[in-house]
Amino acid sequence: MEHQSLVRRLIAKPEFGPFVLLVVELVVFTAINPTFLSPLNISNTLVFTVELGLIALAMTLLMTAGEFDLSVGAVFGFSPVVMWTLFNQEVMPLELAFLVAIVIAALIGLVNGLFVTRLKIPSFLVTLGMLLVVRGTALFVTDGFPQRTWNAGDQWIAQVLVGDFHIGAFRLYMSLFWFIVVAVLFWYILTNTKFGNWIQASGGNPNAASARGVNVNRTKLILFMLCSAMAALAGIISSIRTSAANPNSGTGYELEVIAMVVIGGTALMGGRGTIVGTVLGVFILRTMRNGIVLVGVPGLAYNIFIGAIILGMMALHYGLERRHQAGN
Amino acid sequence: MAQDLVRMEHITKFYGRVQALDDVNFTVREQEIVGLLGDNGAGKSTLIKVLSGAVPSTSGDIYMRGKKVDIRSTTDAIANGIETIYQDSALVTQLSIARNLFLGREPVVGPSFLNRMDYATMNQVAGELLRRVGITKNIPTTTPISALSGGERQAVAIARAMYFDSDLIILDEPTNNLGVAETRGVLNFVRNARDRGHSCIFIAHNIHHVFQVVDRIVVMRRGQIVADNIDPKQSTVDDVELVITGMTDEELAAASATPAA
Repeated sequence: MEHQSLVRRLIAKPEFGPFVLLVVELVVFTAINPTFLSPLNISNTLVFTVELGLIALAMTLLMTAGEFDLSVGAVFGFSPVVMWTLFNQEVMPLELAFLVAIVIAALIGLVNGLFVTRLKIPSFLVTLGMLLVVRGTALFVTDGFPQRTWNAGDQWIAQVLVGDFHIGAFRLYMSLFWFIVVAVLFWYILTNTKFGNWIQASGGNPNAASARGVNVNRTKLILFMLCSAMAALAGIISSIRTSAANPNSGTGYELEVIAMVVIGGTALMGGRGTIVGTVLGVFILRTMRNGIVLVGVPGLAYNIFIGAIILGMMALHYGLERRHQAGN
Repeated sequence: MAQDLVRMEHITKFYGRVQALDDVNFTVREQEIVGLLGDNGAGKSTLIKVLSGAVPSTSGDIYMRGKKVDIRSTTDAIANGIETIYQDSALVTQLSIARNLFLGREPVVGPSFLNRMDYATMNQVAGELLRRVGITKNIPTTTPISALSGGERQAVAIARAMYFDSDLIILDEPTNNLGVAETRGVLNFVRNARDRGHSCIFIAHNIHHVFQVVDRIVVMRRGQIVADNIDPKQSTVDDVELVITGMTDEELAAASATPAA
């Protein structure tokens, strides 16, 4: 009886569906093409997965608070441009340029947050506008050309952010380490801290949260800034790894990141969020992208699978929510 | 006679050009339960919103135990010992019972920079409070509010007011949409609150519920207080209905007999 109730509780968790889906993906892709689980393929997949994953983790907190940010893809492209332009023009050392780029990104988040919380404009519209402003600025500053980053290898900060190392046959990057650190930190914040309680309350019922003395606006402002700063960090990591700071990079990432978060079980309208679910969502989408190429499905068909996964997961989460509310 | 706990003097409130409150003087004494009645649009909700910090008054003063207080937000009201339980309970349905009870004032444990909520204390206190407000079902305090019935939600909101030992508990339509047993639970709570030293303002459309628990009835009409000392033990529901509507016996009887158009 107790065992049965444990199983039911496990199934009712929002992370259960994504977990099953990820396992199914791994089994199916490995069965069709065993090289899917080769160290080389896993290493290659992990590299980019964790860069997008860093943004998805911050987006999880923001969406739990009832908002989202469409400008993260543009900030992903813009921040490395800022950092490398400042460094290449010998305005400042790379470490300082890195800090300046992160601070500018946080300020972009602050502007987003102020528009949303003070002017009460929906975050969809505010961040859509900011997407265009930031992307346009990156293109204007660079004339559309990528900034050179190939002298990054000598810099200690590049080693700290993206240095590679080997564990057995696996070639891993420091970005994986940062992804794990951020995931654990954000999980702790959301599930164990007062601030995590405020994040969920701000998204679930902002009026009730305000009535209890929670500063909903400040909570959202912090999360907008965090989201932009994480997008900047991910963009900088990516630019060092690929040796190119392209002002166009990150186009479309905002929707992929939101899809990762939603597939993981975070409610689009706020109030409920799961970092574990987002980690699963990140791996589900990146595994799908990698797997369909390996099994011979044309890459252009990728979006069909992603769309189907989103619809399926939404139906699952909706069903679980209904059961939960009915007390089953 | 008990001392005044809250005294609102010359309270006026305009919404644009519409006057919702017109020079209202309203008092609640220590350990007193006041029923605040009035038809729709009489001004009782606005008066409560001013007292609970949800909206500012246009003019007028509020005193707590004789001392003038400045209530500009719900936080100010809570800090002054005023807790409001709204129709929808003002709970976050996605959060657990314990996390709702302590929202905004979560106890922390361990080093302060870790900001870690003290779940053990929260769950233990929440469990005790639920028993005190009459929830005898064994509901885990980690249950989200969305899984509770309307009465259980009201009980959680009431438990919160009890725990933080508010001097004045305002119940705005607390029996709306509740079943018979749940309504009885809420009314019992109101009676118990007085015994524990709290004062209450009880707002309800169901006058019979008000008569069962209050010490004094105050009636509002068109933004003004038209009766502020009706003793429920010496009045009938019909008497109070006449005051609420402002009609004579004959007018009220005629209005009741007229079929709806």
